[in-house]
Amino acid sequence: MPQTWKDNHALFLIVIGLLAWVVPGGGHFVLNERRRAIVICVTVVLTFLVGLHVGSIGVIDPVNAKPWYVAQLMNSPAVFFLGQISASGQFPVFGRAGEIGQIYTSIAGLLNLLCIVNAVYTAHLEGLKGARA
Amino acid sequence: MMALTCTLLASFTTPMRIDTNAASMLWLIPLVVAIAVVYKATKVHQIRAKAFAKETILLIGSIMVFIAVSALILHGIAWLVTEQLPAMAGGSAF
Repeated sequence: MPQTWKDNHALFLIVIGLLAWVVPGGGHFVLNERRRAIVICVTVVLTFLVGLHVGSIGVIDPVNAKPWYVAQLMNSPAVFFLGQISASGQFPVFGRAGEIGQIYTSIAGLLNLLCIVNAVYTAHLEGLKGARA
Repeated sequence: MMALTCTLLASFTTPMRIDTNAASMLWLIPLVVAIAVVYKATKVHQIRAKAFAKETILLIGSIMVFIAVSALILHGIAWLVTEQLPAMAGGSAF
């Protein structure tokens, strides 16, 4: 296979991965997996929003809860901006609601990570199939 | 409309009131549903409503049963350690 195909393929995989990160389900959408994309998008976004609603925006804490924040960042780059807002510490977060909110938002992020990996892998398989044809 | 939007946004700035009791464990269910739906969405070859719902419900059931069995076993171990062992040793754990 020529080097250019490999270069283009790697770039394609990176673009798919980035799209899947920016919008949950975006990678699958570009790969013409529309239904899969909608199911992923609705579920991940809903789980994340439920977490934010239960625990408040303060559950995104880039200062005192870094490991959770890393998992939350997997949802979308938009979480970075939410983290900047909540870093001021003006949003209260406490008790059971804080725990549940943190767990929901982090699990949503990890689920999106699974979808990013799946979208990149699917794109890779499609690329290989196209190269052989 | 503006008031509704403000109310909606404001609901994201304060945490809900959730007590630390057995009922709070029910918050597990929506999370299990989300995990099962996304996992199955990445695994099935094609998403067809009926087959997808069936597989997802099966996975949700499996996870719930596994959690219930794990909880029972852990509860049994905790009961043995805190109730039975101290009684055998002739004293209380606390």
